[in-house]
Amino acid sequence: MIMNDIRIGVYVCWCGTNIAKMVDVEKISEELATLPNVVIAKNYKYMCSDPGQDLIIQDIKEHKLNRVVVAACSPRIHELTFRKALEHAGLNPYMFEMANIREQVSWVHTDRTEATKKAKSLVAAAINRVNYHEALDKRKVEIDPSTLVIGGGISGMTAALELAGAGKDVFLIEKSKELGGYAARLDLTFPYFYSASQMIRPVINKVLHHEHIKVFTEAEIEEIFGYIGSYQAKIRQNGSSIELKFGNIIVATGLKPFNPSVINEYGYGRLPDVITSLEFEEMLKSGRILTKEGKIPGSVAIIHCVGSRNKNYHDYCSRTCCNTALKYANQIKSALPETHVYQLYADMRAFGKGCEELYAKTSRKNVIFMMFDQRGKLPEVRKAGENDGCNLLINFHELLSSSDVEVPVDLVVLMTAMEAHENARDIARAAGISMCGNEFYIEKHPKLDPVATTTDGVYIVGTCQSPKDIPDSVSQAKAAAARILATISKGEVEVEVTTAAVNEDICCGCQTCVKVCPYSAISYIEERNVSHVNEILCKGCGTCGSACPSGAIRCRHFTDRQILSQIEGLMEMILLEEEN
Amino acid sequence: MTYRIDPNLKTDLKKYGAKDWNECFHCGNCTAICPLTENNFLFPRKSIRQAQMGLKQKLSANLDPWLCYFCGECSTTCPRNANPGEIMMTLRRYLTSVYDWTGLSKRFYTSKVWEISFIVVFFVLIVAAFGIFLPPAADIFSNPSNYIDPNSGGVLINSLVPGLSNIQFVKVIETGDLIMAAIVATLLISNILRMFYFTIIKDKSVRVPFYAYFTEAWQLIFNFVSQPKFSKCDKKSYWLGHFLLMSGYTIMFIVIVGLLPRFQIEEVKPWYNWQRILGYYATFGLLFFIVYSIIGRIRKKEIKFKFSHETDWLFLIMLGLTTITGILIHFFRIGGLPGATYILYVIHLAVLVPMIIIEVPFSKWSHLAYRPFAVYFSKLKKAWYKKQNHLEVSVAA
Repeated sequence: MIMNDIRIGVYVCWCGTNIAKMVDVEKISEELATLPNVVIAKNYKYMCSDPGQDLIIQDIKEHKLNRVVVAACSPRIHELTFRKALEHAGLNPYMFEMANIREQVSWVHTDRTEATKKAKSLVAAAINRVNYHEALDKRKVEIDPSTLVIGGGISGMTAALELAGAGKDVFLIEKSKELGGYAARLDLTFPYFYSASQMIRPVINKVLHHEHIKVFTEAEIEEIFGYIGSYQAKIRQNGSSIELKFGNIIVATGLKPFNPSVINEYGYGRLPDVITSLEFEEMLKSGRILTKEGKIPGSVAIIHCVGSRNKNYHDYCSRTCCNTALKYANQIKSALPETHVYQLYADMRAFGKGCEELYAKTSRKNVIFMMFDQRGKLPEVRKAGENDGCNLLINFHELLSSSDVEVPVDLVVLMTAMEAHENARDIARAAGISMCGNEFYIEKHPKLDPVATTTDGVYIVGTCQSPKDIPDSVSQAKAAAARILATISKGEVEVEVTTAAVNEDICCGCQTCVKVCPYSAISYIEERNVSHVNEILCKGCGTCGSACPSGAIRCRHFTDRQILSQIEGLMEMILLEEEN
Repeated sequence: MTYRIDPNLKTDLKKYGAKDWNECFHCGNCTAICPLTENNFLFPRKSIRQAQMGLKQKLSANLDPWLCYFCGECSTTCPRNANPGEIMMTLRRYLTSVYDWTGLSKRFYTSKVWEISFIVVFFVLIVAAFGIFLPPAADIFSNPSNYIDPNSGGVLINSLVPGLSNIQFVKVIETGDLIMAAIVATLLISNILRMFYFTIIKDKSVRVPFYAYFTEAWQLIFNFVSQPKFSKCDKKSYWLGHFLLMSGYTIMFIVIVGLLPRFQIEEVKPWYNWQRILGYYATFGLLFFIVYSIIGRIRKKEIKFKFSHETDWLFLIMLGLTTITGILIHFFRIGGLPGATYILYVIHLAVLVPMIIIEVPFSKWSHLAYRPFAVYFSKLKKAWYKKQNHLEVSVAA
């Protein structure tokens, strides 16, 4: 490296008083101007403002700067701003380094002298580092306009229709024989009692007959490879293997109902008149609410939170059960007005449009609401004796009356929790999605990017992300479709260039990097006995670089030389300050 | 102790006057506003919960409804218009029928036909008894002056039946009175014993210390006489109105049943005589309460008068008729109208007797005993909690 060519500009920001009140910004800019290769050092009230950026642009042109350091806030906030300023002045945006003297200094310290010392060291480290920065070129990827949708439930079908409606081709993969998912197995929907099948049927027909949608039922994903814009997948259908090419993926693998037989207290599987909510939906669809003996039940108990909100099973709330249970109470009361309905709940959560109203309406229908303690002993369902006059007895401690009660009933409906689909883990591996501890997929940002994942071009919609109802699933599906249409209409996407690269001369083929890569971006090339990084899939996290035992992996913009020089700069300044 | 849920109780209780069991969702506003709530003594929410869930056994051991005087604060505060005060009222009716072993209380509360038939039968029986055994002298209408005291000009009320001396007449009426009082007292006392059985003996969570039965006994008299719990309610006028009625009624009862030979005398005393003044006070007390309640129940402005069970109306009508006939007897007598006096005397008794037989052991007026006993029993329970040093447990847990 020929150090003589390097001309660095250093800019220290006041951030109004945010930094200036705790850090002597003037002193720093004055003292750091003497460091090697620093041509100019300035301080300014707001570097991120237009005049602040203009100052940098002017200096680059005037003083022929080829490196810039800005000491201001977190790079998360303004690194892009300043990189753009560099580009504007004709410099490569990666010839820039930022030192965080706000979050890491002024906001967290109380001693002005010490804070100034620390800030100075950090800026010196950045100056040392920027010496070794290299120009990196942006990479663009062309987008294949077709999309793969995994899962033919209401979420997957909605997304497919949305994309196909825009004239883009969609491949819809469904594991089971028929489209529709769990929504198609419901009788009525809450809170307005619309028939689910009347809602889903037309959607299924539309999907099946759409010219831009190719449906593969009884099909499973074998393998997905590629990256945003140009993915490929192998799918298996009826024993034959099919290859597909597409640019984006929507994962809508949906849910699996919790199996309540693991909760011994409820006696599911042991007692014939204890059924799950899905089994009750089938009863409602058939129009006959009957016990196993074929009699009309004199009383029905609905037990909430079966598998949800319980530390032994799932911590999360399944979000739809309370409202579904209210729906059941209404359906039972209208079909069998003489039948008593009990709601055994842990907490009533009737949120959502029209749902609190449904709760209010139901609570006026002679439904007895009883609260049990989810953290204590669960209600215990047992067979009733000959003289009890009912099929089952439920014993539990009722909280609002503070008494141990016994409820005589003929039928028990368990509001089972939603779990992630049993195939969720396989799909996650194939598509490169991360999962929470409970097998639901993790979104890119819980608030601001709830349908994207950390893998570009892969979106998650519906209950595979978390338990949700039909309107939420549909909204997510449409959001994901809109995101994909936006990239398709742009035609290409920019991808990250701060990626890892393997020096094949040094690589010994140990494949440590292949195992640690969280994005499945590294593959092993057998014939040459080396690892290879797919630069489109690589996020530049650096895991492989630090794991590589032979030092064969180099992470662009985070090379060993760059990081070491940053540390050297920091230490030198600290030592220097101590001597003084 | 496990309690079986009875879903039909809610429906049953509707016959006792409850409008809607579904509204209450146990926010606890009523408990917060109720002047009776202390520590964790949860008025009136806990009783409502027991009723909602059909915990019959717990409800029959519950004394709370009797401690409530229906000031209506809870109902005014209730965000769901569940009217907790009215529910407590309903529970008092229900509990009266639970304590009553004859089953008549339940009949009277849940069936208009039963109650009205009962009244009519008694009315007819008493009128017939007077017509057959104690008919007035034949010339009472043609020669009324024969039956008037020449000194005062008043009717000789005990000398209207031929063949009976005035002393004998009073004796006959007094015997009838005492028989009625004995029947009523037997029924009421047996029901109080049942109340004791349900609330103290059957409540296994409490073992009352023996000394408490004596140390707390004063509560009975004190609460019977002055209703201190009622005066806790914010509106003191309720307590005053109730006190007027209660004292008036008690005076009348003592006069009629216990001291009849001293009060039902031939001589008309001057108006300032203490006996007459006592009578006027009692009449005023009754009249004031009747007029106040009837107006209240018609206007429905105050919470406690918003909903009227049919037995409420029947009670007011009976009490009103009794009072009005009593007043008329008084005036006819002073005015020297022996015929009218005697006819009204018979009607007066024919209304009074069924009213007392229905109301005192079986219906609304049983509270004259249940309320002070409930206070007494609750103090007994508290004595046990105090002994256990855990006052935070509710009184009827």
